[in-house]
Amino acid sequence: MTTEASPPAAPAGPRALARQRRRRAAVRFWRQYRTHRAGLVGLAALALFALLALTAPLTVGSDVAGVTDAPGRPMESPSAEFPLGTDRFGRDLLGLLVWGSRVSLLVGLLAAVLSVVIGALVGITAGHYKGMYATVMMRVTDWFLVMPALVLAIALATVLPRSLGTVILAIGVTSWPTTARLVRAQTLAVESRPYIERAKALGAGHVHIMTRHVLPNVMPLVLAQTTLMVSGSILTEATLAFLGLGDPTVVSWGGMLQDAREAGAVSAGDWWYLVPPGIAIAGVALTFTLCGRAVESVLNPRLGVAR
Amino acid sequence: MSTQDQHGRKRPAARIPRFRAPRLATTGGFVAALALTAALATPLAPAAQQARADDGKKVLTVAVAQSVDSLSPFLATRLVSTSILRLTYEYLTNYDPKDAHAVPGLATEWKPSADKLTWTYKIRSDATWSDGEKVTAEDAAWTFNKMMTDANAATANGSFVTNFKKVTAPSPTELVIELDKPQATMTSLDVPIVPKHVWEKVGDFSKFNNDKDFPVVGSGPYILKDYEPDSYVRLEANKKFWRGAPEFDELVFKYYKDGDAAVAALQKGEVSFVSNLTPAQADSLEGQDDIKVNDAPGRRFLALAVNPGARAKDGERFGDGHESLLDQRVRQALFLAVDRETLIDKVYQGHAVEGEGYIPPRYSTYYWKPSADQKLAHDPAEAARLLDEAGYQKNSEGKRVGKDGKPITYRVLCHATDPNDKAIGQYLKEWWGELGIGMDLQCLDNVSDPWLAGTYDLAFDGWSVSPDPESVLFLHTCDALPATPEDTGATDNFICDKKYDDLYTRQHAEYDPAKRADLVKQAVSRLYDTGYMNVMAYPNAVEAYRTDQIASITTMPEGAGNIYGQDGYWSWWSATPADSGGSSDGGGSAGVITGVVVGVVLLAGVGGFLAMRRRATAEDRE
Amino acid sequence: MTADAVSAPAGQADGPAPAAAPPVRGPRARTWAGYLRYGAGKVGGAAVSLFAVLVTSFFLFRLIPGDPVKTMTGGRPVSAEQLAALRREFGLDLPLWQQFTDYCGKALTGDLGTSYQFRAPVTEKIADALPNTLLLTGTAFVLYTALGIVIGTRSAWRQGRLGDRLNTGLALTLYSLPSFWLGLLLIIVFSVGMGPVPGLFPTGGMESGGEQGFAHVLDVAHHLVLPVLTLVAVEYGQTLLVTRSALLDETGSDYLTTARAKGLRDDAVRRRHAVPNALLPTVTLIFVNLGRTVAGVILVETVFSWPGLGGLFYQALSVPDLPLVQGLFLFFASAVIVMNTVADLVYPLLDPRVGR
Repeated sequence: MTTEASPPAAPAGPRALARQRRRRAAVRFWRQYRTHRAGLVGLAALALFALLALTAPLTVGSDVAGVTDAPGRPMESPSAEFPLGTDRFGRDLLGLLVWGSRVSLLVGLLAAVLSVVIGALVGITAGHYKGMYATVMMRVTDWFLVMPALVLAIALATVLPRSLGTVILAIGVTSWPTTARLVRAQTLAVESRPYIERAKALGAGHVHIMTRHVLPNVMPLVLAQTTLMVSGSILTEATLAFLGLGDPTVVSWGGMLQDAREAGAVSAGDWWYLVPPGIAIAGVALTFTLCGRAVESVLNPRLGVAR
Repeated sequence: MSTQDQHGRKRPAARIPRFRAPRLATTGGFVAALALTAALATPLAPAAQQARADDGKKVLTVAVAQSVDSLSPFLATRLVSTSILRLTYEYLTNYDPKDAHAVPGLATEWKPSADKLTWTYKIRSDATWSDGEKVTAEDAAWTFNKMMTDANAATANGSFVTNFKKVTAPSPTELVIELDKPQATMTSLDVPIVPKHVWEKVGDFSKFNNDKDFPVVGSGPYILKDYEPDSYVRLEANKKFWRGAPEFDELVFKYYKDGDAAVAALQKGEVSFVSNLTPAQADSLEGQDDIKVNDAPGRRFLALAVNPGARAKDGERFGDGHESLLDQRVRQALFLAVDRETLIDKVYQGHAVEGEGYIPPRYSTYYWKPSADQKLAHDPAEAARLLDEAGYQKNSEGKRVGKDGKPITYRVLCHATDPNDKAIGQYLKEWWGELGIGMDLQCLDNVSDPWLAGTYDLAFDGWSVSPDPESVLFLHTCDALPATPEDTGATDNFICDKKYDDLYTRQHAEYDPAKRADLVKQAVSRLYDTGYMNVMAYPNAVEAYRTDQIASITTMPEGAGNIYGQDGYWSWWSATPADSGGSSDGGGSAGVITGVVVGVVLLAGVGGFLAMRRRATAEDRE
Repeated sequence: MTADAVSAPAGQADGPAPAAAPPVRGPRARTWAGYLRYGAGKVGGAAVSLFAVLVTSFFLFRLIPGDPVKTMTGGRPVSAEQLAALRREFGLDLPLWQQFTDYCGKALTGDLGTSYQFRAPVTEKIADALPNTLLLTGTAFVLYTALGIVIGTRSAWRQGRLGDRLNTGLALTLYSLPSFWLGLLLIIVFSVGMGPVPGLFPTGGMESGGEQGFAHVLDVAHHLVLPVLTLVAVEYGQTLLVTRSALLDETGSDYLTTARAKGLRDDAVRRRHAVPNALLPTVTLIFVNLGRTVAGVILVETVFSWPGLGGLFYQALSVPDLPLVQGLFLFFASAVIVMNTVADLVYPLLDPRVGR
């Protein structure tokens, strides 16, 4: 970030310079990320999961979720035709597992994005505008922070109609405060740098400073935060579905577990109904956590601030 | 920096213990953690046969999931609570386990006056309360009078006494009830009779839950000994019960909020009986040793109820049911699209009977099934034709359009706690989707609100049918509608059909059993034709018990019937313990062994921890 | 996974606990008077939070559509007069603001109303279930905190070695498991028994009923094993990771080098110098966790039929039993707030850099 005072001899304009700088930063980031083996494993697994979810319409197709033309008998054990057996409707569990990844990943991602967007918005504005506004916003943040998130999410999911949107909202609205705090701290650090002072002196407005100077600097943190948040969101989605607070007509991993439990698969010993969705949830959650930790340790916000 | 180091040493002495404390906890906690881990790996602890308690007592343990709402007979309405109260307080009459006709309870005989307005009950003299006092007619009179005079005492069973004029006890063995108008339920007054000498001391009946002083004074086959909310309810055999003491010494209702946990407990012998099994559970239990699955015709039906336009008796309409459902052809088309055979086969996996009329086949006297040409058999083509005929054509996107020009999407209420509702809902969604009709499956924990407000289109509906169909038939009469939209009526789903009402009234007044049965069947037939109540299935009562703990148990009806949730107390009263092993290897020894195991494991844990530490130190020295 | 799942991962690499206030260092806390001022501020803040929770608990659940009185009577035929009487009894006929002020006034005196479904005071229902939840979460809490700190310390000390990588990996993996799923699997394997493993533990509940004295204690302990194991498995990872990263921050410090240079054994350096300092951020996490575990135990209680607050909450929500739901929500949130405040108050006392 020392390149702010760019030498006047540079042939390109300031925009191009900034682009260049960012490209260099990205390359540097990747070089450091590469040294984290766990992060690489996570990234590879993540790519695999994403590929599975994106190609699901081609590989298994949406028909796999249909109950009326389910190919098998209810609760069949694994066979050559159904590698993971069938569910209570006689649907292919392997197909459902692949198809369910779409909803689980989608909900996890959207909820995390929602949460981080709220958190970043609150954090940046609270860090930028000091005074009454910041006090109130941080008070609200603190208050959300101490709310038992799962209890609040369950309450929200009960109050609102049962749908994917509700689940995303319930997770997003209850999990943003951590991000808000981190982003605010980072914003305060960025704004204390001299070049912000200079920008202000040159007449930059609030919006300009927040979007052009603060945002790019907190973006890496936001990114790391999102990655970490996804695993929590996926777990919470599964939890809500398991408690019967999801949409019963949508196939998701948590919903599959709930189905399995309701059908009595646990005591009937139908492990193939119960084990794969759990492993899938844990796998994706772990993947995101690994990536997030790697990203975070590359960026290490505290060092970033000190630099 | 040396300052840091100095600072480390210069810390005020008083602070040091604060750092010590967590470390002590650390050590202790880690030992315990090791102990836990070790306990898992120790193949010693004998956990089975928990159901058999100490000192050779024969204990019958029943797994339940529903929480007790109250143990006061004046407040309790949930099945689990009323079942327990049925065992602890005798009623005036009971139902015969074979055909459910009224048999003596506290009353040995009963007689109505000629105008049927005065009923005289003879109260038995050989019944005593568990505290030794005699049960008298005065107790019964007091119970009824309390319900008639104190609104708080009428919460649970008030409906039985709304029609009562006067209740007196001229002698300890005679109870006289005077009525305002004739009442059909006089030989089936399901009201627990409570001891006056205990209950007259109770102040506020709305707040007294009868769960503080144990044992609770009662007169039934079991005495309530102990209750821990959501943990267990413990009953002890009443050795002085007039019909004869139960053979089990104790009856415990033990809580398993999770159905699978209950089944697992049955497999291990932790509990003797489990009800409400899913098909998968029943199938896996079927072949196991020492377990008998009781798959009996149920008393319930599962129907798809249509909102026929909610209304009150004063004629005011409310709610927002879809207008298209007022057309009989639409209702029938929806039902024609339902393939009941698939539902029985896939959802219930054979543990149910295909639904037709309103009364389950178990009650053969009143059972009615449609003739071949009346039957709304699965026929999607006919369904589509009927919808076209009714004027609900498909638009360019293949969606049927309502009179308001919008695509039709029905809101279907389902019980979030019932997996079958949700499963069937998914089938309906696809079947109706092919017809061009959208569906919004609204699964709620508590459906009563939209239900009572009439803000739904269709709903999953189910009732437990009693041996006498009177009460379930009444639900669909115009008389059952709420007086105004502000009241709550007895009505199920606001049906008010003149033809049906006419048949209902006629069967109500008919004394000849055969003729009455015929009229009931006609009423059911009419209900079927209206398409308001589409019965999809009669689910079986699927239960299981351990034959090495229960030798025999009475089902109701005796031939093929259910065990849990009977009208009488026959199952738990009649159950006989199996003499095989069971009660001898009591929990006392199991407890001791567990104790020994825990002790050993703890020691091993401490040893292991110390060893680890020594090794760790050695490593550090290198 | 419990409540932590939603926000905790972010805290892992962040050093200090996710939900804790930034550690206070500096002039304000340097003197006792300063500390008192600081403490008063924290307590005041907690009071504001508690009030906000009171407001939320009252209004949030009023959003559940429907008429509580009709729900209460569960569809049984009831006349409009009876419904009105019930409404009066529960104070539902009053204007909303008056209901709210009544609710606040009563809550201050410890009266949280009467449960619709149990016809018993909410405080009594909570008091009944609280010891059970505390037993479960307390045991699990002590174990996972201890386990997290011990393994975290060892891991940090051998950073990068195989043991560290295995431990961290295992912790992260367990941390990613849905707790309800792990609980179900444990039931299948250790309760029902699977293959060579016999059914060692009860499938659910807290006691068999009927035992007295020591046998009762053993019985409860026996029931406690699996739910505690589930909680410990999914929870210890966070403590481990925070301890580890806190300790790693410390290991670079000069004073440790000095201590070693003085010839102190590695073990002693670790025990006397590094761990106490590194534990500071962990302390905050510990208190926050205690509050959260109480609130987050819903799933484990459901799976293991544990008769605690979580099960009660879920049951109350499904009715919905408004007074009970409100009361429990208030209780859960208060537990977290109080624990947070305790953490804030304790932190400066423990920080050796205070009072320099």
